[in-house]
Amino acid sequence: MDLTGLLRAGPDALANYLILAGVLFACGIFAMVSRRNAVGILMGVELILNAAGVNFVAFARFGHNKIDGNQLDGQVFTLFIIVLAAAEAAVALALVLSVFQTHKTIALDDVDEMQM
Amino acid sequence: MATLIFWLVVLVTVASAIAVVTARNILHAAFSLCLTFLGVAATYIFLHADFVAAVQLIVYVGGILVLIMFAIMFSSNVVEDTAEGRRGLLALGAGAAGMAAVFAAVLLLTSRLAEPLKTANPCANVAYAATVSVEAGQTGIGHCLMGPYLLPFEVVSVLLLAALIGAVVIVRKEVR
Repeated sequence: MDLTGLLRAGPDALANYLILAGVLFACGIFAMVSRRNAVGILMGVELILNAAGVNFVAFARFGHNKIDGNQLDGQVFTLFIIVLAAAEAAVALALVLSVFQTHKTIALDDVDEMQM
Repeated sequence: MATLIFWLVVLVTVASAIAVVTARNILHAAFSLCLTFLGVAATYIFLHADFVAAVQLIVYVGGILVLIMFAIMFSSNVVEDTAEGRRGLLALGAGAAGMAAVFAAVLLLTSRLAEPLKTANPCANVAYAATVSVEAGQTGIGHCLMGPYLLPFEVVSVLLLAALIGAVVIVRKEVR
């Protein structure tokens, strides 16, 4: 499909969702590489997980899995992704606070020893 | 009309995602992240995944984002992470993001999305019609979680408990 076709299709084209997820993924990678703040890196991770979730739901909706006509597995997987993201965020932010208590900074360039 | 709203949502999502990445003030980045999460939730609604959209709103906007804000305000001098001395990192990040985008595009262009999948589908026996009604989708997800995905569901609940206990143990002050 060409560009105008995609533009006109809007929410009815799988490729649009994949492009959106790709942009989110690239933004997340960018944040993970270029941020020095630990919380900024965590935000990048969240963006990447969101991109994965969008991909799962998009393929659940548009995937041609017509053998049994079911489309729910992608949504269930996205639910699991969201739960895992919540657990990961809780632990990561606890680590950030702990590092801040001992080092007085969360810039990851300055936190490079394992001993306290 | 729906197409217009869809592109508006996509525009807001992408713009706020870019703002998350480029904002100098990490707190501004967190606020943009809120917009991104809202945009992704709207995208889920466009994909007929109402329940996932609701969960996204509750968990991300209501939970993770508040946690991130707390972490930002508890730790640090908020106005940090500016551009000076960050040029090399920015270039590196742009390179990595570009490579990821090119990789994704190549995968998309070379994969054959139109072919039917031949894999087994665990939720095969769950009666569900995606476009019929909202309740059908929620009922189907419930049957999926309590049926074929029961073991992952339970494992995830144990994992959540472990993560919460671990977080408490990590931040707890040492008591002697």
